[in-house]
Amino acid sequence: MEGRPTDGELFARAQRGNQAAYEEIVQRYQQVAFRTAYVITGSAAEAEDAAQEGFVKAYRALSTFRPGAEPRPWLLRIVANEARNRVRSAGRRHQLELRVAERFRPGDAAPSPEAAAVAAEDHTWLLGLVNELSEEDRLVISSRYLLELSGEETAAALGIPEGTVKSRLSRALDRLRRRIEEGARA
Amino acid sequence: MPDAADLEQRLVLLQAEIDWPATPALAARVRARIATPSAAPRPWFQNRWALAAAAVLVVLAALVAYTPSRDAIASWINIHTIFTRVNQLPTPSPLPSGPLGKRLGLGDPTTLDQAQSKLSWHVVVPASLGRPDEVYLQLPPLGPPQGEVTLVYKSRPGLKASGQTGVAVLVTEANGRVDTQFFGKMLGNGTTLEEVTVNGHKGYWIGGQPHVFFFIDADGKFRDETLRLATNTLLIDDNGTVVRIEGDLTKTQALEIAASLS
Repeated sequence: MEGRPTDGELFARAQRGNQAAYEEIVQRYQQVAFRTAYVITGSAAEAEDAAQEGFVKAYRALSTFRPGAEPRPWLLRIVANEARNRVRSAGRRHQLELRVAERFRPGDAAPSPEAAAVAAEDHTWLLGLVNELSEEDRLVISSRYLLELSGEETAAALGIPEGTVKSRLSRALDRLRRRIEEGARA
Repeated sequence: MPDAADLEQRLVLLQAEIDWPATPALAARVRARIATPSAAPRPWFQNRWALAAAAVLVVLAALVAYTPSRDAIASWINIHTIFTRVNQLPTPSPLPSGPLGKRLGLGDPTTLDQAQSKLSWHVVVPASLGRPDEVYLQLPPLGPPQGEVTLVYKSRPGLKASGQTGVAVLVTEANGRVDTQFFGKMLGNGTTLEEVTVNGHKGYWIGGQPHVFFFIDADGKFRDETLRLATNTLLIDDNGTVVRIEGDLTKTQALEIAASLS
């Protein structure tokens, strides 16, 4: 389809010292890196600093990137480490409050405002339950589903072995399902 | 208790609805940092975006527990499209009469070359269908900020005209930032939504009963004059360009068309 360079080509160029290529890498990955850091720190300002610092450190460590490896887990591991270090040095993490976007505003010429409102309320309710989970459960569910990270990327972001992601995720989902059931009965 | 697959699907769809803080533009700043071995600390005012983002955060009303509707889903996933599952489809607006472009809100008739010359992004053409019979260009405000192109294919052996559009295949393309949405889809209970991958590009196959399509303008408002029924549709995210392939197609036919885009 389009002839834009692949991630692998950009990494190869960056490893040869091409800073414009690295800028393009940051462009491609800044959103997932920032959001990952946000889920970990609970603060947009901290996440911004962690992501920026992480990208700078990753650049300095480019010689350790193995050609042909997946760049996303590699970058996310560095950014997530930076985010965790910030939480640790601050001695506390901010209370993360993920919110549902308000896409349907009153007064809009929506074809079915009622249906839109029901959909938004359902998301808000489910997200509220995710926010209330323990930090460990919330982090693994947020990484896997809300950030859409792969198993390998989730492991990198959480700093745990990939094999642990699966069991931790399964337990977290069980607990979330129980909360949904309790909420539905209430 | 909801079953595991159901919960997973709801979480996948939930992700698209998260109100993330705006992603800061880090690329230029990182570039500046790596260009100078020891960069000065970042000035405080570069954090102003964070203050602004905090200021506009919508205050949500207190959450009230209720039984969520399984049919209530809404999502866009990198394809500039919001999906909303509804029990009853809204009544489509009456289609204006006149030529195809006006009837379906496709914009002005043009040629492939002329359309490409007015757009900053690359228009892809499905090799399996060849040159389109007609080409339309839609620019803002009734088209996305960077314009929208529709390739029209009339009926041919193996591809019959659709009852909804009167032509065999519509291939619509639009390009935008990942976090912008300009298309909406409302799906009733008889319509299926399925994740697909074509040449490594993520997308969705919408099949079954016709669904409702509408356009969202730059102000985030529904343009109800664009609300119409659509038949089976494949949506593919081709490096930031959403390609929409619509017609009375089987999933296999649609995937073949998508695989031949270049």
